Amino acid sequence: MHELTPLLKFAEGKLQIATLVFMALVYVLKIRWILSFPAGRDRQAPAGASNAKRGVAFSLLAIAMPWTLASFRQHPLRYAQFVVFHLGVLLSIVMSLLIPYAPRLMRAPHVVLGLQAAFGLAALAGIFRLVRRISDRSMRAISSPDDYFSICLLILWLVSSAMAAPNHPKSGELALLIYFFLTAFFLVYVPFSKISHYLYYPFARWYLGRTLGRRGVYPLVRDHAH
Amino acid sequence: MRTERSHKAEKLIERMHEKVNRQAMLSLEACVHCGACTDQCHYVLANPGDPSYAPACKGDQLRRLFKAHMDWTGKLAPWWVGAKSVYTDKELEELMDTVFGKCTNCRRCSLVCPMGVDLASFNRMARGLLVHVGVMPAGVAAVAKDQWELGNQMGVLKEEYLETLSWMEEELETEYSGLHIPVDKAGADVLYAINPREVKYDPRTIAEAAAIFHLAGENWTMSSDGWDMTNFGLFNGDDELGASAAGRLYDAAHRLGAKKVVISECGHGFRSTRCEGPTWAKQDIGVPMESSIFTMLNYIRDGRIQVDPVRNSAPVTYHDPCNLARSCGITEEPRELLRAVCLDFREMVPNRAENFCCTGGGGAMSMSEYAPRRLKSASIKAEQLRATGARVVVTACHNCVDALADLIRHYKLDIEVKLLVNLVSNAMVR
Repeated sequence: MHELTPLLKFAEGKLQIATLVFMALVYVLKIRWILSFPAGRDRQAPAGASNAKRGVAFSLLAIAMPWTLASFRQHPLRYAQFVVFHLGVLLSIVMSLLIPYAPRLMRAPHVVLGLQAAFGLAALAGIFRLVRRISDRSMRAISSPDDYFSICLLILWLVSSAMAAPNHPKSGELALLIYFFLTAFFLVYVPFSKISHYLYYPFARWYLGRTLGRRGVYPLVRDHAH
Repeated sequence: MRTERSHKAEKLIERMHEKVNRQAMLSLEACVHCGACTDQCHYVLANPGDPSYAPACKGDQLRRLFKAHMDWTGKLAPWWVGAKSVYTDKELEELMDTVFGKCTNCRRCSLVCPMGVDLASFNRMARGLLVHVGVMPAGVAAVAKDQWELGNQMGVLKEEYLETLSWMEEELETEYSGLHIPVDKAGADVLYAINPREVKYDPRTIAEAAAIFHLAGENWTMSSDGWDMTNFGLFNGDDELGASAAGRLYDAAHRLGAKKVVISECGHGFRSTRCEGPTWAKQDIGVPMESSIFTMLNYIRDGRIQVDPVRNSAPVTYHDPCNLARSCGITEEPRELLRAVCLDFREMVPNRAENFCCTGGGGAMSMSEYAPRRLKSASIKAEQLRATGARVVVTACHNCVDALADLIRHYKLDIEVKLLVNLVSNAMVR
């Protein structure tokens, strides 16, 4: 068994725990902040057979039903990029826990190859998204420095994830060090950036689903003939 | 760094702190600038070279203000997250140009947003903030003033309204023996509330509804006060006006002891009265409210009126009013009604909740300064209409009727605009 250097040991262990705790603390504060705004009440009587629960369920799951969102239905490639990109990010988060705590699960070559393929595709999707943000005039008009920085950082992180996936410290620790220090930076930066949108997602979609469900708009009725 | 701020800008920021609720805050925070909404807006499609029409860009005009004053990241590093405050009255005018002049609050972008950002709702809120400090298009101020003072949007006096009802009753007397338009009848099963446009420009719709009620044997009435179901509070973002306007109708229903309120065809009127009004007025109304679409459909389903679709033989298409389809979920009933009363019904594409706005939503018809923009953006609707090959476009909203008629004239389409009540009345077997 190869002995890790103290720096890598620190990066994989204490640094990750400290930054995770920091992120969790900021998220607790953020959720408190969200809840400090008064929730608007819906007083209208439910319409017909509709109800808020069905509306909320539809609203939360709409992202997984691209045919219900015209924006995705008309741009299937963008939806594919969205899925691949977010899947890559999710797998990288999982890997940051597997390497220090369950490395056995990543020993099989096909697992490593699979992860690298996922990270590579996700980085590619990220590059497409970045190019669109830079080249499309209307995308430039809505982009802030945080938007550009976040996507660049995620692409870099996904590339470092692909390089770190083999988890072979004895052939050189640099890839793992870059990956874990980037992960630590992420954990600190994310709560202050647009990347924390996943925290707002369930709240925003829950309220929209409740209102539109009560009114019978959700679940959406579509014209399947066209 | 600027620190001097105009009085109006100061007051607007104070008001924003009071008005932002959790739903609005989430919509302001959750946008990831993915651009999914961009090509879903009729303004964008009609102005492809102008990014200022992109829904996310329009939303950012308020979002940057919110971030500058209410979001910690915006306070900490404003330039990084695009936070920016307002300082001058000119900047308020620019905000007005966006929220009143570049968006009809149609909610199409809200329904395609993967994050659930409801731009239409917080655009309305932004309008309300501006109205609070007196910044609004002249037409909006004039209509709001009428609704505050007279209880209706079109400056219709009570005498004028009652005379119109009598006139319509006289018109119908020869055709329908014993037909009466009851006013202030206590304990009626139905209190019928209308749009003041019907009194002012299209009284035949009142007559047609009266004939339908008469043939259905309905126990109905109209009210001498609180008869207007439209509500400019929805358009100008003023919840107090919204509560007051809807409150007059609720008071009428309670005063007369009506068992149900039936709201004539009007997208924003139905939404304001049925959905938003109880929230604005902070009261649970306790009287069921339904659109006249349902009433007419139920009369046909129950056999209370007989219809012959042969009487409406021209090809017909249906325009889903935004407020009915995207904010009230009314999409199937108008279609069932149309299939019952006309021979050749064809869908417009896209339709239902994905339909494009008539371009007259959000009070746009009262803002003459933005008419050229509105008509340019109407090219999308014109193309939709043209593609159906229909000779009649039917809708369930008086506001849409005006906007559609305007764009039909502008784009020289050979198509006529009608309301559902026109077709039902025409198809009725007496």
